[in-house]
Amino acid sequence: MAHAFEKLHWSRELEFGQYLTPGSLDDALQMLADGKGQARVIAGGTDVIPELRRRHLKASILVDITRLPELRGITQEGEDIVLGGLVTHAQAPASALIRERAGLLAQGCAAVGSPQIRNLGTLAGNLISGQPAADASIPLLALDARVTIASLEGEREVPLKEFFLDVGKTVLDSTREVLTRIRFRALGPDQGGCYLRLSKRKALCLPMLVCAVQVTADPQAKVIKEAAIALGPVAPVPFREVRTEESLRGAAASRQVIAQAAENASAWCSPRDSLLRGSCDYRQEMVKVFVRRGLTKALEQAGCTLD
Amino acid sequence: MHPGLKDGNMSTLKLSFKVNGKLTSLAVAPNALLVDVLREDLGLTGTKAGCREGECGACTVLLDGEPVNSCLLPAMKAAGREVTTIEGLVQEDGTLHALQQSFTDQGASQCGFCTPAMILNAKALLDKAPHPDEGQIRQALSGVLCRCTGYRKIVQAVQNIAQGK
Amino acid sequence: MFDKTDDKKEAKVLTKEKIDLQRLAREGQAALTVAGTSVRRVDDPLKVTGKLKYGADYPAEGFLHGKILRSPHPHARIKSINIKKAQELEGVAAVLLAKDVPGRNGFGAIIPDQPVICGDKVRFVGDGVALVAAESEKIAHQALSLIEVEYEPLPAVFDPREAMAEGAPKIHEKGNLLSYDKLIKGDVAAGFAQAEVIIERTYQVPFLEHAYIEPDMVMAIPQPDGTMLVEGPMQAPFTTRRNVAPVLGLPINKVRCRQIHMGGGFGGKEDSPIDIGCRAAVLAWHTKRPVRLALEREEITLQTAKRHPMIMEVKIGAKKDGTLTAFQGVIYDEQGAYASLGPRIPPAGGSHVHSMVMMAGPYEIPNVKVDAYLAYTNHPYGGAMRGFGAPQVHIAHEQVLDELATELGLSPLEIRRKNAFKLGSTTATGQVLNQSVGLRDTLEACAKAFEWDRRYKQTGYLDAQRSKRRGVGIGMGWYRTSIGTGFDGCGANVYVHEDGSVLLYSGITEMGQGAFTVLPQICAEELGVRLEDVRLVTPDTDLVPESGPTVGSRSTTLMGNAIIMAARQVKESLLETASMMLMVPVERLESKDRKIFDRDHPEKSLAFREAAARCMATGKRLIGQGWWTPPPASLDGHTGQGNPYFVYTYSTHMAQVVVDVETGEVDIEKYVAAFDVGKAINPRALEGQIEGGVGMGLGYALMEEVVITDGLIQNTSLQNYLIPTTLDVPDIQPVILEVKNEFGPYGAKGIGEMPNIPATPAILNAITNACGGRVRSLPADPEAVFWAIREAGGPPKE
Ligand code: FES
Ligand code: FES
Repeated sequence: MAHAFEKLHWSRELEFGQYLTPGSLDDALQMLADGKGQARVIAGGTDVIPELRRRHLKASILVDITRLPELRGITQEGEDIVLGGLVTHAQAPASALIRERAGLLAQGCAAVGSPQIRNLGTLAGNLISGQPAADASIPLLALDARVTIASLEGEREVPLKEFFLDVGKTVLDSTREVLTRIRFRALGPDQGGCYLRLSKRKALCLPMLVCAVQVTADPQAKVIKEAAIALGPVAPVPFREVRTEESLRGAAASRQVIAQAAENASAWCSPRDSLLRGSCDYRQEMVKVFVRRGLTKALEQAGCTLD
Repeated sequence: MHPGLKDGNMSTLKLSFKVNGKLTSLAVAPNALLVDVLREDLGLTGTKAGCREGECGACTVLLDGEPVNSCLLPAMKAAGREVTTIEGLVQEDGTLHALQQSFTDQGASQCGFCTPAMILNAKALLDKAPHPDEGQIRQALSGVLCRCTGYRKIVQAVQNIAQGK
Repeated sequence: MFDKTDDKKEAKVLTKEKIDLQRLAREGQAALTVAGTSVRRVDDPLKVTGKLKYGADYPAEGFLHGKILRSPHPHARIKSINIKKAQELEGVAAVLLAKDVPGRNGFGAIIPDQPVICGDKVRFVGDGVALVAAESEKIAHQALSLIEVEYEPLPAVFDPREAMAEGAPKIHEKGNLLSYDKLIKGDVAAGFAQAEVIIERTYQVPFLEHAYIEPDMVMAIPQPDGTMLVEGPMQAPFTTRRNVAPVLGLPINKVRCRQIHMGGGFGGKEDSPIDIGCRAAVLAWHTKRPVRLALEREEITLQTAKRHPMIMEVKIGAKKDGTLTAFQGVIYDEQGAYASLGPRIPPAGGSHVHSMVMMAGPYEIPNVKVDAYLAYTNHPYGGAMRGFGAPQVHIAHEQVLDELATELGLSPLEIRRKNAFKLGSTTATGQVLNQSVGLRDTLEACAKAFEWDRRYKQTGYLDAQRSKRRGVGIGMGWYRTSIGTGFDGCGANVYVHEDGSVLLYSGITEMGQGAFTVLPQICAEELGVRLEDVRLVTPDTDLVPESGPTVGSRSTTLMGNAIIMAARQVKESLLETASMMLMVPVERLESKDRKIFDRDHPEKSLAFREAAARCMATGKRLIGQGWWTPPPASLDGHTGQGNPYFVYTYSTHMAQVVVDVETGEVDIEKYVAAFDVGKAINPRALEGQIEGGVGMGLGYALMEEVVITDGLIQNTSLQNYLIPTTLDVPDIQPVILEVKNEFGPYGAKGIGEMPNIPATPAILNAITNACGGRVRSLPADPEAVFWAIREAGGPPKE
């Protein structure tokens, strides 16, 4: 059992030779294309730099997209909220629009790393890192967000449900594509959301479990119209507990229903055993607690207080 | 000169930015990180490196007033922007910044390795919200690890200023 | 388990120089002007402005960069090494193997059992197999990757009990049991026979990382005269020198070690500068060029010493009223691959012996037996970490006491009130505590500040859903001042100059604890000058007298005394001179605040500097040298009886926590920590030690753990090795009590290590009080707490 050289020896020197700073999206895409697979997009750098340092990521050209004006800003388009690809984890919760109409996302972003990291890291980067328990990805998944991906060939829009492929792997190819926009529907008055997180310490800590819930309810009839439950890490990718969601469609908003949903969600998901972030058994138990608490809180926000 | 430059196989880039109010231009290697440019090329060793992966916060500097980890920042990201390091807080005549004085009065520094980063994070907070409560202060400082102090005197040092003491 | 008699002889104890410490101890705060006050730290102006230079802040220009090739195997024989490709790489100045070590190929703080470069075999993942020096860090790294080593893997052993078993793979020639020590007081069998309640428990603690924020580095700079200068952050320049010299085959006087200001040490920078210091020195010796060896964060975790993991079996017996009758403990202490600071240094040195001595806690127990085994394994090694073997055993005795109290239906406070040490108590080693025993005072003061009675009653659920439950807990502790070895001396030189300014030479290092402020405070106090008149010379083995290592909570007390002795020698000649100048008898003269004056007629005075100038002009002594060793330590090798340490600091902590009984998450709401410190020389700096220590103790309780699989540490970075942040540590309230230590400067005793020790069990006990579950294997992270609640049959009903 010889352990790998890279796990025992470290060098502070990063192994890339070119740093490019395009001024427009077109330039950026051209630079990536010219790089022929050797170039990679860097935005906040909070994932890319550590990954380069760990020699997990090899790239000889970095294309810094942080100066592209077309990727900035948080806007409302009808009932949709649109986030530019450069919106950071600090900017999102600072926006009143996000706090009021997508509170679960604001909370998720505020839980990322540290204030300094939140000032750098982008939500788009959080998605692209493809980690199963990323703090912005899970709420965005619960919000049924869609992302716009640009390449020299043009633009495409992908629902997040189809975005993630495997641990660290998404449909986006960072050697030639750029994530330009994230779009989702703002929560309405009959909707509620909740974000929950479990970790070993209260800041600067990767989570043991993240859960985001969005519900649409009929408070008068005390009925759940729709529920979205996103969890991580319970699978190789950020995960929508679809079966539980289906079982809740049209169900009564009662403690009993929610408890049953929590039991189901727990039984149907299969987190990995992790030496550093919790056993499968424990995390399954926590899914139960989080789904219950998440649904309860989201329903409350939708005006549906459980008795 | 950054070690990367010595290999000769990398073309250098010109980095122009404001450091502690002064316009600065220098040649850097494309793979240079801001932390190393500050420390090695500009001699601003008040910015520390404890982990080089964004986890200890010792390398914090202010980029256009916002705290960031300079170990995660390719130096070229600073181009055209303003960087403030701990050295930039002292006035020309040597007068300490109110936070620096408060850290001294409070005994908030032990080994001192986290101190510059703590002070810069606190400054960014106070610049935005001059009267934060304890929770806000702890939140603002949560990205800097201190192994020595248990944080109490650091939080108090910031509180004293927030409360106008 | 087997018994083995200890045949180590006790070292001769150096005689203690005479000093009127009793008088000093009696001196009240009123008489003091510089010592005893919260002056600002001397090094603060440099720290808050970023001007203070740490090792990494020195320019690397002209230095070669050293790197270490590490073993990928926990245990293997080295069959062959091919360094040709690495040597041929442009920019490589040296690639060194075992045969290239000029002197002794071994280093270690106690036993030189760790190879500078492994020759025949490797004993842990991270063991040094080859050394490289190159023109740049990048080239050195590349060169490492070009070295080809062929290994023959050997069976490895990762558990101290397995390592001691018959037929276990032999890690070192002399066998895997590095040390066995025992302590026998009274008759435990009889003690348990008298007991009405007996419980037995096992507690386990993992390896811990110091996680000082400043990474290790060292510079080895060959001097023209053949001397080797080794500079870097180091807690123990003299111990480093004692290792570098034989490794280079040089006499001690040809190695010079100089401390650079440390960004935290906590015991860790006692060992690591020896390791990288020896290695950098060998590279510098070969290349004849300055070599800089800096470790990246992950490499620090892989390579340097840790806090020892332990398995502790405890049996405790008591009468129904809570009176303890017997305590029996077995310690399986895991040393890891190399001896570091683990084994015994007679009579009572070494972390292992310290664990044994402290294991029964600060309680009067007539019958005690402790068997302590220290075994090599193929893991990284245990060294010193803030508490030196004491934090672990406190986790055992404080928890078992609470578990016993629960059985007896007593409160945690009651059982401690019943059994805690008081003046005249006899410890487990048979030592009679005849002075400075403030343990019970800390218990009462802490209970008062914490409002124990009220909070103890107000535990229970916070919410209607019964998810959050509140609880309180106590941790009590004691800690030595000194290291219990034959040599435990401190030397100091004080030079007064003709203008009244002072140079203080001391070998006690600054790692953030405040020595560079507190020691000048003592010097200024004793001479009668102001703090700013004293400049402390940074520890440098060429300049300052031997002071031993900066460890064991010994600095203020031992060095403080040495400084007082040195200052008195000078003061004597100053006062004699002043006496002639003022025509006042010496006995009536006092020196304070830069003035020497007649106590009876204070207007009769002259400036301190005038007396100094006169001394200079008339050839009177202006240099003093102090040398102080504590009263002799003793500990019988067969029975563990004796007076191992001359004085102890005492402490009680109380914590209030809220546990989420559904998830296992813990929140600390309130924390009070009370200490008997003898005398606070700088109360604010002392509070800083308390707050920081408690923070570290909380980390041990809740989150810290080095996770190792197949010998490889899985959490080498600070991303996964978690230490508390601002949001994890509560507002700690320190309470300082002063029960004078007859042997301390102005009555002081040690404080560096005490604060983190009772913090861990205080939190653990509070968690149990809150949720009913008890975590007996650390850390009590959410998952561990969750399962502990399950094991206890679910969360409490009410
Ligand atoms: S060095 Fe940048 S966060 Fe640690
Ligand atoms: S003072 Fe040492 S790390 Fe904060």
